Order: sequence, then C-alpha cells, then structure tokens
Amino acid sequence: MVAQIEKEFPGYTPEHISGTSRRSFMKLMGASMALAGLTLSGCRRWPEERLVPQTSNPEGRIPGLSEIYATVMEMNGVGHGLLAVSYQGRPIKVEGNPLHPMVRVNERHGSADAFAQASVLELYDPDRARGFYVREGNTYRASSVAAFREAAGTMFGGNGAGVLVISETSNSPTVLDMKKRFMSKFPQAKWVEWEPISNDNERVATQMAFGQVLRPLLKLDQADVVFSLDADLLGMHPAHTRYAADWASRRKSADQNRTMNRVYMAESQFSITGAVADARLGIRPSRAKLIITALAERLGVGGIKAAGTLEGNEQKFVEAAAADLKAAGNKAVITAGAHLAPDVQAVSFAINAALGATGNTVVLLPVPDADRPTHADGIKVAADALKSGNVKTLLIIGGNPAYDAPAELDLAKLIGGVTNSVHVSIYRNETSLAAHWNVPKAHYLEAWGDARGYDGTLSVAQPLIEPLFGGVSTIEVLAMLTGDQVTAGHDLVRRTIEPLLGGNDKELAFRRMMHDGVLAESAAKPVQVAAKPSPPPSPAVPGEGGSTLEVRFFADPSVFDGRYANSGWLQETPDPLTKLTWDNAALFSPKDAKALGINGGDMVKITVDGQSLEIAAFVQPGQPVGVIGLPLGYGRGAAGNVGSGLGFNTYKIRTSNTLFAAAGAQVSKLNTRYKLVTTQNDYILNMDHIGREGAEERIGAKHESGSVVRETTLAQYKQNPRAAHPKAHGNLNLQLFDPPSHFNDPHAWGMAVDMSTCIGCNACVVACVSENNIPVVGKPEVAEHRQMHWIRIDRYFKGTAEDPEPEIAFQPMLCVHCENAPCEQVCPVAATVHDSEGLNTMVYNRCIGTRYCSNNCPYKVRRFNYFDWHSLDPRGGRFPKPWLGIPDQQQVESIDAIKQMVFNPDVTVRMRGVMEKCTYCVQRIENVKIKAKNDHLAGKRDSELVQDGEVLTACQQACPTQAITFGNINDKNAWVTQLHQNPRSYSVLEELNTRPRTKFLAKLRNPNEALAEGHGAGEGKAALTPPPSGPGEGKKGTSFEGVNA
Amino acid sequence: MAESNSSTRFVFPRWANYMLPILVVSAIGGALYVPVLAQLVASPRTLDAGYAPEQPVQFSHALHAGQLGMDCRYCHVGVDKGPHSSLPATQICMNCHSLVKTDSPKLAAVFESWKSGKPVPWVRVHDLPDFVYFNHSAHVNRGVSCFECHGRVDQMDKIQQVAPLSMAWCLDCHREPAKRLRPLDEITNLGWKPPKEKKAADDLAVYLAKDQYHVRDSQYMTSCSLCHR
Repeated sequence: MVAQIEKEFPGYTPEHISGTSRRSFMKLMGASMALAGLTLSGCRRWPEERLVPQTSNPEGRIPGLSEIYATVMEMNGVGHGLLAVSYQGRPIKVEGNPLHPMVRVNERHGSADAFAQASVLELYDPDRARGFYVREGNTYRASSVAAFREAAGTMFGGNGAGVLVISETSNSPTVLDMKKRFMSKFPQAKWVEWEPISNDNERVATQMAFGQVLRPLLKLDQADVVFSLDADLLGMHPAHTRYAADWASRRKSADQNRTMNRVYMAESQFSITGAVADARLGIRPSRAKLIITALAERLGVGGIKAAGTLEGNEQKFVEAAAADLKAAGNKAVITAGAHLAPDVQAVSFAINAALGATGNTVVLLPVPDADRPTHADGIKVAADALKSGNVKTLLIIGGNPAYDAPAELDLAKLIGGVTNSVHVSIYRNETSLAAHWNVPKAHYLEAWGDARGYDGTLSVAQPLIEPLFGGVSTIEVLAMLTGDQVTAGHDLVRRTIEPLLGGNDKELAFRRMMHDGVLAESAAKPVQVAAKPSPPPSPAVPGEGGSTLEVRFFADPSVFDGRYANSGWLQETPDPLTKLTWDNAALFSPKDAKALGINGGDMVKITVDGQSLEIAAFVQPGQPVGVIGLPLGYGRGAAGNVGSGLGFNTYKIRTSNTLFAAAGAQVSKLNTRYKLVTTQNDYILNMDHIGREGAEERIGAKHESGSVVRETTLAQYKQNPRAAHPKAHGNLNLQLFDPPSHFNDPHAWGMAVDMSTCIGCNACVVACVSENNIPVVGKPEVAEHRQMHWIRIDRYFKGTAEDPEPEIAFQPMLCVHCENAPCEQVCPVAATVHDSEGLNTMVYNRCIGTRYCSNNCPYKVRRFNYFDWHSLDPRGGRFPKPWLGIPDQQQVESIDAIKQMVFNPDVTVRMRGVMEKCTYCVQRIENVKIKAKNDHLAGKRDSELVQDGEVLTACQQACPTQAITFGNINDKNAWVTQLHQNPRSYSVLEELNTRPRTKFLAKLRNPNEALAEGHGAGEGKAALTPPPSGPGEGKKGTSFEGVNA
Repeated sequence: MAESNSSTRFVFPRWANYMLPILVVSAIGGALYVPVLAQLVASPRTLDAGYAPEQPVQFSHALHAGQLGMDCRYCHVGVDKGPHSSLPATQICMNCHSLVKTDSPKLAAVFESWKSGKPVPWVRVHDLPDFVYFNHSAHVNRGVSCFECHGRVDQMDKIQQVAPLSMAWCLDCHREPAKRLRPLDEITNLGWKPPKEKKAADDLAVYLAKDQYHVRDSQYMTSCSLCHR
C-alpha cells in the first residue's frame, strides 16, 4: 500500500504529517467524543468578554472603523511613502501613499512593496529587541535607559577622540542634522556608513562622468527603448515602484495606440526585470564592460572602443539593441546597475548624453549627503581604525556589520574587541551580541522620523503606536549622546523640518505635511550638467577567458540583505523566479550543472579566493551560463526564532573586492543532499508523456500561446487583436441544463489580471497575507504543499531545459470566482456558495473540512487549515508538546498576544479544519457598500451603488503596475468591464465552462524581429517545459526543481 | 451438548416479553434525545437569552434612558457611524456626574476610572461569534430600531440579553424586514408602535422598505457574505 501511495502522491509521507497512526487517531477521537458527550462541554456559553471604552474618546475616532495615517519607511537610505492603517490604535496594514511621487500608481492608490507590506509583522515580532541590555561577562543583563544615559556620559566625552560610528545609511534630514551636531560636538570622532547592498558605485561613476555626485532618475514612461545592463529596475532598484508603474504604462499603451516600449536586458543574474524584458541576454559579470563599450562603439559615442570581442549571441544582441536605441534617439534610455564598476556606469551616462536622453528620459538629481565616503571605503576605514586599537568607543547605528561586512575584515571579532560598544538595533542580532550595550531601536511605526524618497521628496514618519518594547529612535539616541536640549523625537523632527516648510504658518504647514505624507514640491530639482566625455575605459576585461565560473552576489527578494530574515511572511513568500521558500541556494544554469554533475538539492562547496562556502545547489533555467548566483541574507546566526539558521550565509565568501561578483570560482560537489522547497510544481499531477503534452498545450511552446498561458507579440497583436487566443474550444452553449448565472444584484464583482504587466514582484502576495490574516506554515509544511497563500504567482518557463534564454510568463492565480463553480457542486454542507453579487463565498463556520472543494477546483486556489497554524510556531519546538500527542492546540494554546495584534479584525481568523481561499476582499467590499448606502440615505451622495475605484482589493492596491483590476462589471464604464472586453481577455480553463469572474489578459511581448528569427530557426519547435529537474535527471521531470526526491 | 432434547431447549424467560416495548421506547427516546438537547438545552434561546451578568457599575438604563429620557446615541456615539455601538467613554459619564450624584458610592468605579485614566471594564452582554460581522450603522440608519435586538432597554435596571442572537433569528428578519422597519426619527424610541390599523401599518412597511430604505430582495439579504467575512 505504501508503494501505491508513493505512486499516487510522490513525496507524501504520512508519518511526517501527523505523527499519529490512523488507529490511535480513531481511539483518541472515540475517547474525546465520549468525553464531549459526558460533560456537555459544547453546551456552555463562551468565556466572558470585557468591553473597555477609553476614558475619553479622541475626537473623531469611531470604534470599529480604521484610521489612516501617512508615514514613511526608510529602507537603505530611501524613503517609501506609505499610508498606515490603524485599527483602534494598532497599525495593521500599510499601503502606498498616492501623493508620494515615488510610489504613486494612479490617483487612487500607491504601491507598497513586499518589504513595506511585511513591516507590520516586524512591528509585532515577539523576537524584537526588548529593552536595554548590557553585557556582564558572557551574558547580558537587562538594563534601563537611565543606566545607558549614565554610561554614555563616560563613553562619549571630550572631543570625541577614539569614537567611531558605523551607521546604516540614511537620507533623513533629521538624521543628517543630528549627525552634523554629533560631529560638531565630537569633532575627532569618525563617522562611516555601511550597507551591504549599496548603490555607491553610482556615486563614484557620476563623480567620474559629471564631476559631482548625482543620482540618475529614469523616466521610463517617456522611454521607447530601454537598455539595462544588469540593473534590476523593476525588482531591487530603490525606485522600483516608480519604475514598474512607468514601465507598465508603456505596456498598457498597446491597447490604446498599439505602441509599446521595448526593454533590452543584459544581466549577470536572472532578475524579474530580465524575466519581463523583450530581449534578454545572460552574461558573466566580467562581460559587463565589454557589452557597454561595444554598444557605445556601435552607437559611435565619444570614440569609445569595445573592450574586447563579442561572441555570437552577444553581438546579435548588442547590434539589435544599438539599432533600436539609435532609432529611438532621445526616447531611449541606457542604464547600468548601480553595483557595476564606475567606469562601466560612466559609459552608460556617455551613451545617454550622446543619444540626447540625458535631461529627457534620464534626469540627474543632487543627493543630500554627497560628501560622505562610500560604503565600501567606509567599512574599510572602520576596520582599520578598529584594528589599530585606537577606538575606545564604538557606536553602531542599525545594520548588522558583524554579519554582513566583507568577510576578510572579520568585523565581528573587531567589534567584540572594543570595550565600549553600543549597538542601536531593532533586533538583537549578530552585531548586538558582539557589542557591549544593546539599545532597542524603535520601529518606524513607533517613532517620529523623516525620510527622503529616491527623488528627494520629503516625508514625515509619524508614530502610530507607543514603542512596544521600549525602543528609541536613532535621532533620540543621538540627541541623548550629544546632550541635546531637544530630546523628544517629534521636536527633533520639527526642528529640522520647519525651516524647509514654506509659508508663515509653520504649524499649519507641518500638519498639512503630516496629513499628506509628503511636503509638496520637495523633490530634488534636476541638475543641468554638460555631460563630460566619458573617460576612456581601462582596456582589460577582468576575468576574461570565460572558462572559469564566476559568482554573483545579490540581495535576496525575500530577506533583502538579511534584515528581514525573521519575517515569516517574507520567508514563506516564494522567490519570484526560483519559487524557493525559507532558503537561499546557489543558482546554477542547467548547462553548468550538467557539466559539474550537479542536481538540484546537492550540497556543493564553492571556493573563491581561498574562502569557501558549502551551500545547496539549485538548477535555475535562465541563469546565465558560467555564473553562480548567490543570494545574500541567509544563514543568520541571531535573526530570531523564525530566521536563525535558515539557508546559507553567502557573506562568508564576499570580500571588499568582490562585493558584487568574483571570478575564478571552484565548485566541488559534496555527497550530501539538502531539502530545498519550491512551490512552482505544487499540484502538478504527473509528467509522463501524456502529462507533458497536456502541459505543453496549456503553457505553450516558446513564442507560442498556450490555452492557459496566452501571449502574443505586439506585431501580431496589431494585425489581429485576438492573435493570442489559439483555438476555439468545443461549443459551450450546448448544455444539458442551465448553468447558474445572474449573480449581479446590485453589483456584479469581477476582476481582470493583465499578464502583460505582471512582474512577479510578490507585493500582492504579502499584501494579501497582511489583509486576510493568512498564516505562516513553515518550511516542512510548504514541502507538503500546505502553504496558505490565497494568491500565488505562477511562473512559467517556455523553452527547453538547456535554453539559455527561456521565455517567462508570470500568471497571478487566485480564486477566479466561477459562476458555475466546481467547488460549490461538491460541498456536502453548502459551505461554499454564491452570493447575489457573484462572490463565491466561503463560510468557515459551516465547513467540515472534507476538502472535496479543493479537489474539484481546477485552478487549485483553495487552501486547507490542516492545523491551527496561527497558534503554532513555524519553526516548531517553541510550544509545549500537544495534549495527547494530537498535533494541534485548537483552543487550548491561544495565539501569542503580540502576534494577535497584527490581525485584521475585519477578517475571520480561521481555525483548524476549515477551507479558505480568496474572497475578493469581501470585507473591503462590504465596508464600502455599507458606507455608500449610509451616505446615500443621508443625502451625501447620488447613488447607493459602489462607484468604480471605490473598492480596491488588497492585491490590486499593492500592485505597482496595475496588473490587477477589480470592480463592478454591471457598470459598463468600469475599468474592469473595459478590460473584460479587451480583445486580449480570456478565461483560464474556459473549456471547463466554469465562467470565471476573473479574466486574464494575454501577455504581449515586443521582441525585436532581428533577434526572434535567429532563435526560432535554430531550434524548430521548442519542446517545452517543464524540463527535467536537474540535468540528467529525467525522473518525474516535474520541475526545475529544488525539491529533492 | 444439548442436541435434540426439547426439554432442555433454551426458552426466553417471561420478562423478555417486555424487551420489545423497552426497545421501542428507548429507540424513540434516543432519537429524540439529540434534537431535544439541541433545540432546548443547547439552543441560544436557552443559553443566551436572559443573560444578565453583574457589571462593574450598577448602571440603570431604566433610569437614564427610561425616566430621564436620554437618547441612546448620547452615550452610544458610534452606533450610527460605525460597526460598533461603542460604549461610552468615562468622559461621557462625567459630563453629568461631575455635577450630579458626585458622592454616590454606586459611581465609585466611574470616578476611579476618571481619576486613574483606566477604563471601566464592562462585561459584554451581546456577544456574537467572531466570524459574524454585525454592523450597527447599517441597521440603525435603515430603520431597524435598537428595540429589535435589544428589547425594552429603557425598562431594564440591569442590562440583559433578550433575543437569542442566533443566525436563524437574524434570518427571520433578513427574509422579511419590512414589518420591522420604522421611520428614521423613531429609531431610538423603544416604545414606538406601528399604526394600529392593519392597512396603514402595511402601507408604512411597504413605503419604508421600498421607497425610503431601498431594502433589497431576500436573495441579497440572505447572502452569506453580508455577515460572514
């Protein structure tokens, strides 16, 4: 029987799941039924509850209605304007601030990315630093702010000689002001900044090209042709929200005027920008200079000569790009990744100037802190100072240099060697555990602060809640250390901001700024510079020869540089491309993996420059050949209960000289395996030849449209707007009986998902988790396909396994609210039924957990609560052993009081044993409906019907590219109705006649014909997807996998 | 043993004759047991209606809302604006009681709260399950009086639950709301009665449901998503 189970459900291990055999389960169930009958325990009133009104109600607060405050979250020195939703005084959700130019999507909403969305969970993380700690011998003793203030008096004194400050980077005017005050009080002190993910090479490059430090801001909405050299504009760029929105506006224009931008991406690490680029070229990091100089040469820029010779596909790519760029002229834009060598970036500025793009599609902005040393220099200065033994007092503000500084500096040891060291941090991380004093830093939702957006727009961060764990903000700590007369965060911010406010009434202006979240017209004014001719690039291309492997470090999309490692929401969110959860892995191209004999899940040893690292390998189609991708941010030692010990610490082999890439990597395969968990292949049934043909038909071969994943090119779309739809299915009008319909009273809710603009960034996934109280289940349960996300982003590869440039399509998949819903037909208790407006509702209190609905759902969007996830610890081991060994603590173990605070009270927290799925954010719909009708009856509005754009689903509101549109399809003018009538629109699996309310819009690509022909001809009909899990591993062939058999 | 000897053949004892009626009675009893238990003992009508816990302050609605004729909304400020009726902040009590009955021992908890800034911990009486989202503003702005769920609060010395607040009870009204509606200015008048004459009452109900409050059909009114999220 076990063999049969294995055949039917590969990888299914019942013991792991329950730990209880069926027999003992029946025994226990019998016993508990008898007990229940004896005590009539079901027949009692639930526990007494208390209602506690405030002693005096703040004006305007209505209990039960949430309030919205504008604020700003600074990340890596860039402020992201947000709206924080507060329910009865606790922030529960953040959204983008539509008034903030860097996150604005349209007049109704802005986009908050996955990190911002997850920041609410960080606020309530029980693992955050709680109170002051001071080291005593080998342990830490709880201390107090008074004790710290006293100790600081002795640590920071005199003229500051022997004081070293290592700070996280910040563009906040108040932080910069406090820094200035600190330096004037302690003129002999040293202040350096360090960020492991740094754009500082861009500073050097602009200095080189323009003679001053500038920040380029691209106007992608103006650009017809975009050439990106390794710049992940839509993913990890600090302005990614703006860029994604602008990029998308030039994709959507295909529907209005049949034009689209065209994006060329030459990249050394597979990114989401590469995934949605119209032409993509995987390169080694060492080829970057060659590519950009060759491009400059072909465009005839300032006498630049190619720094070497291009190979076949490189040449084709560069020539095609050069032709397009030339044609586009000042409507083109070239950008080079901010991590690339300054001379490489300088060439890109020269090209922009030559094309006339500078000042047009690229504007150059001043930066507020132009005079500081770069991060790479700063940390070296700091390490030298520490080594020299002259540092008597070390102040580390934020960050985690003991973990993420270049490996050869061994900063953890150096920090530990300083007697008077202070770490101000939101978590007690690796650096805190090397420092003498641990000062808890307040979360941005707890403290006053300010920040400048990427374009310089100024915002104020206002606290929504008292510090939960006694944290203090950076500016308050600095005020304490400098003995500032002003001590409160609000006053410090006010002091800096007031001179920047216009008008006579400063109070009014400040309130206005707090209300809006931005100071109007505060964006930096573009600098008009004469583009100096680019310096002649140094001749040699480092690491050439091309036969050695190169490693490429990059920020992980889930944990960034490691700072979000303790966020369960982010850990469980699958990586956009690998779909890995809870781990990082060394990414190998299929070709390299084959050559090295590596399969997904094998442990490998990577040696660079004498430093070595053992890490699990993951075979990633589209990974540039010869490049091993190493995501940073994992392998944390002191991240917290969730994040510690996950994945592999790639900082171990990252040195000052190889901050972004290193050549000459040696790889040896170890004989151990590691379980990596990726979600893309969940729900795949079988992959014999029948399954394979079926999948090919649904996904489509390269350059072709499948029945589920439809796409076409702009050229074909112009000729035939319905070109994406391959063939008609059977006649759906011949039905035995009438399918249910007319769910349209008074609204008919529907959604449209535009695959053309989905970039797979995961903002929607985390937004949905935050909005809908979706639990985190942990890696072992994700391995059993039990993740609970209501929206997932399916990432489809098209092309053969070996294809270096596979095509990619992202398809967000969520409950499509079928009118003729298969789930409803099989529910024995009518727990899932339609409402009168077309919502396929899920009634938790009726559900008995048969899971028939999930089995019958062709879209696989229903999620079952196998356990009481919220009360369990995703990493296990924290809660006591469950009663009677039943792996559940339903209503025995309550949910941690602090964890409860993040819940959205408008959404039921689901218990064990019930099914759940996307509700179209029914709570938002109902709240808007109630308000609309109340207002209508009070004569405040004309119609009691909800108007277009009044209801935004959480995913829609988070989406930077407006790929998701929701609304009332009764309304002919509603945007969603227009999209449903778009010739690109289709229903996924329409042959099943489920009549979904969510329609998808076929993806449009805009390839360069010159490149496309070359591809197709050589390969004939590309055999599709999904290629075998690892080279040479044809077995099951379900995946590109990392899940190890 | 004992084959073929008729005298040793087993015969049921005489009392066994009673087994059949006993069996029938217990079968019927057993079959009735569960429904009776569910309907009478475990029903919200039995368990919840009449619930009147001790409160930290012996506040009398009969005095305030009844004799003094204070409007419900003077204290329950959020009732027509948000989902919760909202209990009065201590400040609302103090609006009067800083001048009235300033030495009453019954008000000790209120004065204590006002002095310390700690709220009065009232005991919740009307408690719906967490998966039910009842919105007060959606009802009181559309002609459903406080009375429909809370009864004659203006006659209660100690607040108690009168309605079972079960789903079946909610649906009674959601299926046929017209008769329970009243003009907007009579919402907090708990003693209001519809016109005595049947035709006038019916006309009023129809007018309120159709023309004034635009009550939707029962398919809409009984949609799960209306109350469950």
